[in-house]
Amino acid sequence: MFKFDELCELIRLVGSTEVASLEIEHAGGRLRIDGKAPVPVVNLGAAVPAPTMSAPQTVTTGAAPSGSTQGAPAAGSLEAAGAEEDVHYVVSPIVGTFYRAPNPDAEPYVKVGDAIESGGTLCIVEAMKLMNEIESDTSGTIVKVFVENAQPVEFGERLFAIRS
Amino acid sequence: MFSKILIANRGEIAVRIIAACRELGVATVAVHSEADRDCLHVELADQSVCIGPAASTDSYLNVTAVISAAEITGAEAIHPGYGFLAENARFAEIAEECGLVFIGPSAEAIRLMGNKSEARRSVAEAGVPVLPGSDGALESSRHALILAEEIGYPVILKASAGGGGRGMRLAWDGDELRNAYSMASNEAEKAFGDPTLYLEKFVQNPRHIEFQILADHQGRVVHLGERECSIQRRHQKILEEAPSAALDDELRAEMGRAAVAVARAARYTNAGTVEFLLSEDRTFTFMEMNTRIQVEHPVTELVTDVDLVREQLNIACGEPISIAKRRQIRPRGHAIEFRINAEDPDTLRPSPGRITQLALPGGPGVRVDTHLYSGYTVPPYYDSLIAKLLVHGKDRKEAIVRGRRALEMFRIEGIKTSIPLQLRILADPDFQTGDFNTSFMERYISK
Repeated sequence: MFKFDELCELIRLVGSTEVASLEIEHAGGRLRIDGKAPVPVVNLGAAVPAPTMSAPQTVTTGAAPSGSTQGAPAAGSLEAAGAEEDVHYVVSPIVGTFYRAPNPDAEPYVKVGDAIESGGTLCIVEAMKLMNEIESDTSGTIVKVFVENAQPVEFGERLFAIRS
Repeated sequence: MFSKILIANRGEIAVRIIAACRELGVATVAVHSEADRDCLHVELADQSVCIGPAASTDSYLNVTAVISAAEITGAEAIHPGYGFLAENARFAEIAEECGLVFIGPSAEAIRLMGNKSEARRSVAEAGVPVLPGSDGALESSRHALILAEEIGYPVILKASAGGGGRGMRLAWDGDELRNAYSMASNEAEKAFGDPTLYLEKFVQNPRHIEFQILADHQGRVVHLGERECSIQRRHQKILEEAPSAALDDELRAEMGRAAVAVARAARYTNAGTVEFLLSEDRTFTFMEMNTRIQVEHPVTELVTDVDLVREQLNIACGEPISIAKRRQIRPRGHAIEFRINAEDPDTLRPSPGRITQLALPGGPGVRVDTHLYSGYTVPPYYDSLIAKLLVHGKDRKEAIVRGRRALEMFRIEGIKTSIPLQLRILADPDFQTGDFNTSFMERYISK
């Protein structure tokens, strides 16, 4: 629909103005150019946003904006502690109830400071009376446990932070 | 009444169920996929649980995830809405085994009506007219040929486990039937994991008329009149109305009695819909029963003043149907529903994307059931239905005029919708006189 240099010209034009976004429908095609990054919309009820946004927090708006919900606590303390590029988050693969130990009297599978091998058991998520052992998908040291024992967890909710 | 229920659905029907729950003082739990975090039902429910990724097979169709979400939130019952798990007998069974009330019919009733050839047999035994055809499933293509000779061509082959047009084949003679048999059987095997077929006489240009029924655990079954659903393309309804221009009081009463008999034969409870084909000579035959709340249920709500979702909740917790025993339910005025889909009105291709501007129509006799809001992004993963515009008038003429102005006042920017197509249907002379059947939409489909 557009030639390459025409596209470049459009992108330059949008970039040099205050236009937030430009959408053109032409000859059966659709083009959208977003201008200067808009002010991020923050969901009510989420953690208080930091006044200055650091670069990695910029979320690319797509089909599924990953707004924080009640179930995804902002890991502010961890991220604020400095460069944490080597921290990996293990998220719950299913909805259910989170258990840190195989039974109420047993020791937790892991504690903060423990070393974990890839494939090692981290916890149990119970769904429909089935105990699903959740294995670590990385090796490293447990630096944070996000959920209290016997609490409900959602699909995709952060369970552990592991530093490699 | 329940104190908390989980809604195993998304979009407009989830919002509709939340509305009924709020009026009854029932707390709600929304479930959602990762793609639906910003969906309105999540915002409006008292609690929400993310149950899986965008693909519905891993989220809204994931039985374990849905039941687990109900368990961790302490919900007492599950409303399945329509689509997804609504007509899954196994799901209804598992919910009950886990101590959750399934807001709908029993697993046995779902199973019976889900097996189209079994449904046909039991309905026929109850004295409800069915099309000439096989008594239950076919044994072989030879069996099909012998039957077809008996009842006369054209005939249609359908999948026992079927629905939505898959595993369906039309045949005008023996050669076509032989080919159609293996094709339909293969298709049915692939789509439903069950290759069995049944055969029926094919009715040319019928009307599609369905009856809403309610049945409670005290044994009372009532019908709430018909919905005219002939305006459809590829078995997808586009516009529904009540009452139907094709029915008079006598035929309505007769078809209503048949619908009640179908429900009784299935020992049905809760809300359901019995679909009939009405041929040009005004004879009607049973087509199938939908064992859930329908998309088009508000059409009936408008002409009867009965809140069907509220009735579903009442019945599910053991209360009787709230309609007075002596009250005769007759359609009051005329209602039309326009399905507004996120799709190109000419090519009918889906048109997902961000809603930049939204203004809903209002004024006398207008209702909009929707989950849209300005800034919402219609995801590409699910059904394209984004809103249902309903109008109610003192008669059909008034409803049509009202529908036109409401469609014109409906503003959605950012995506394409079926509003222009709905306006074309309203302007059609055959639609205006009420003289149409299921072939109506063929004139609007570009080849």
